[in-house]
Amino acid sequence: MLTWARETISGWSFVAFPLAIIFVFVALPTVAGVGLSMVEWQPDGSVAFIGLRNFTHAAQSPEMWRALRNSLIFAMVSVPLTVIVAFPLSVAINASWFVGRTLMRTIFFLPMVISIVAIGLLWRWVLESSDAGLLNNFLDQIAAGLHSVGLIKSVPNEWPNWLGNSGWGLTTIIMVSVWRNLGFAIVLYLAALGNVPQSSYDAAAVDGATGWQTMWRITWPAVWPMTFFLLITGMITALQVFDVVYVMVGTLPQAWTDVLNLYLYREFTLGRFGYAATIGVVVLLLTVVVTSVQLLWLRERGEVSA
Amino acid sequence: MSAINRPGPWQRLIVHLLVYVLAATMILPFAWMLSTSLKTRSDAISETPELLPPGWPSEWQWHNYLDAWEAVPLDQYYPNSLIVSVVVTVVSLLHNALAGFAFAKLRFAGRRISFWLMLATMMLPYQVYFIFAYIICVKVGYVDNYQAMIVPFLASAFGVFYMRQTISSIPDDLLDAGRIDGLTNFELFWHLVAPNVRAGIGALAIFTFMTHWNSFFWPLIVIDSKDYYTLPLGVAELSSGLYSDSWPIQMAAATIITLPMIVVFLFFQRWFVQGIALTGVKG
Repeated sequence: MLTWARETISGWSFVAFPLAIIFVFVALPTVAGVGLSMVEWQPDGSVAFIGLRNFTHAAQSPEMWRALRNSLIFAMVSVPLTVIVAFPLSVAINASWFVGRTLMRTIFFLPMVISIVAIGLLWRWVLESSDAGLLNNFLDQIAAGLHSVGLIKSVPNEWPNWLGNSGWGLTTIIMVSVWRNLGFAIVLYLAALGNVPQSSYDAAAVDGATGWQTMWRITWPAVWPMTFFLLITGMITALQVFDVVYVMVGTLPQAWTDVLNLYLYREFTLGRFGYAATIGVVVLLLTVVVTSVQLLWLRERGEVSA
Repeated sequence: MSAINRPGPWQRLIVHLLVYVLAATMILPFAWMLSTSLKTRSDAISETPELLPPGWPSEWQWHNYLDAWEAVPLDQYYPNSLIVSVVVTVVSLLHNALAGFAFAKLRFAGRRISFWLMLATMMLPYQVYFIFAYIICVKVGYVDNYQAMIVPFLASAFGVFYMRQTISSIPDDLLDAGRIDGLTNFELFWHLVAPNVRAGIGALAIFTFMTHWNSFFWPLIVIDSKDYYTLPLGVAELSSGLYSDSWPIQMAAATIITLPMIVVFLFFQRWFVQGIALTGVKG
C-alpha cells in the first residue's frame, strides 16, 4: 500500500506539469471556445449571450458556405491525390532493383522540413504571371515547340493567372500542398512496405502476376491500414489549412481561395471572437465526423480479426 | 523476390525515369530559388531566364544576401527564432519524456483516465481553442513577448504520447533490476530509460525544433511588435511592401531561412525518418 501511494505521488510529479499545460492551453480553451461560439463579443470586451445566433448567421452567410466549399474541395482532392501519387512511387522506390532509394527518400522529404513561408515565396516566383515566371516560360517553350512542328495552330500569348481568383487559385494551392506532403506519405509507405511479408509476393509470383498486378492486388491491400491512416490524418490536417493559402494568395476574401481558417482569421483580427469561435466549432464538428469514420473502421477491423 | 514477376529492363528504365522526373520537380524550385538569389533584378525578370545566373563568378550578385539580411532584418529575427525554438525544444523534451516514462512504466492512481483524456485533446483542431488560449495569454501578459510563443508549448500531448510509445518498448526487467538497486524513479529514468531511447528523443527533438522554427500561425496571432518577430513572420512581410517585386532579394531571404533546416535535416535524416515513421505506425 505504501509503495502504491509513493508510486502515485511520484507518477503525478512527472505528469502534472504537462497535463497542466495541456489543460490551460488546449482543454480549457476548447470548452471555452464552444462557449464563445454562443456569445457576441464586442471589440470593447463586453460579452452578450446570444445562443445559437452565430450559427444561424453562419448558415445564412455566403462567405461561410464558400469557405466551407473551398476547404472541402481542398481536403477531398489534395489528400487522395497525395496518397495515389505516393503509393506507386513508394512501391517503385522500395523495389529491390531500384537505384537511388535513399537519395529519393531524401529528395521527396525535403519540402516537408522547409518553412511554409519560404515555400510560398518560392512558388509565387515560379508561378509569376509574367513571362519571367519559370512555369510560364516553360509552357511558352513547349507551346513554341509544338507550334513549330505543326501540332498546335498558334502559340497562346498568355497563360492563366495561377494564383488568381479563379478555379486556378485553388488548383494551384492543392498542387503545392500535394508537392509538399508527398514526402511524408512516402516515408510512411516505405515503413509499411517493409512489413509486408515476402510470402505474399512469392505466392503472386508463382501465379505469374505482373509487377503492376502484384502492386494493386497484393501490396495495396497489404498497406491499406497505412493508406487509411494517411487519408484520415490528411483530412484532419487539410481542414485546418491556413499557412499555404496565407503566403500564396493572402487573406483577402477571394471567392475561390478563401478557406475556413482564413475566414476565421479575418473575423478574429476584426475582434469578432464569438463568430470566429463559431467557425472553429464548425471545423471541430467536421473533425469529429472524420474521426468517427476512423473509429468505426478500427472497431470493425478489430471484430474481423478477433 | 523470384524472377517471374521482375519487370524487364525497359520497364525498369521507364519506372526510374518517371521517379527521377518527379524528384526533379522537388528540386527544381529550390534550384530556381538559389539561381534567382544571385541574379540582378533585371536578369531575374528577363523574358529568357536562365537557370545559371549569368557572369560566373564575378557578376553573381552575392550582395543580394546582405541586402536581404538588412531588409528583413535577419540579425533581429534570427535570435528570436533561436530563443523560442531552443527553449521550447529543450524544456518540452524533458517534461514530455518524464511524463511519457510515467505513463509507460509507473502504476499510479488515475494513470489510465488522465492518459486517455490527454489523448483526446490531440484530435482537437486548433481553430476551436486558439482564441481562448490567446485571451488567456493576453490576461497574463504573455502577448507580444517571448512567453506567448514559449509557455503554451513547454509540453505537448503529442510529445508525451510519442515518448510513452517509445519507452514502452523497454523491458520491465531492466527497471526492476534498477529498483532492487534502490534507484528512485527519476534515477531510473535518467540512468536506465533515457540512454535506451536516444533515437526516439532525438527524433522528437528534431521534430519539435522544426515545428517551432517554422511555426507561423500562432506567432502571427500573438506577436505585434517587430522586436519579437520570428523568421517566418519577417520573411512573409517581404512579399508585400518595399521588396514586393525584388525577386532576387526575396529568394535570398528564402534561401537564408531554408538552409539551416536543410542542413539539420541532412545531418539527422535517420532520426527524422524514424520519428515520422513512428507517428504513422500508431495508426
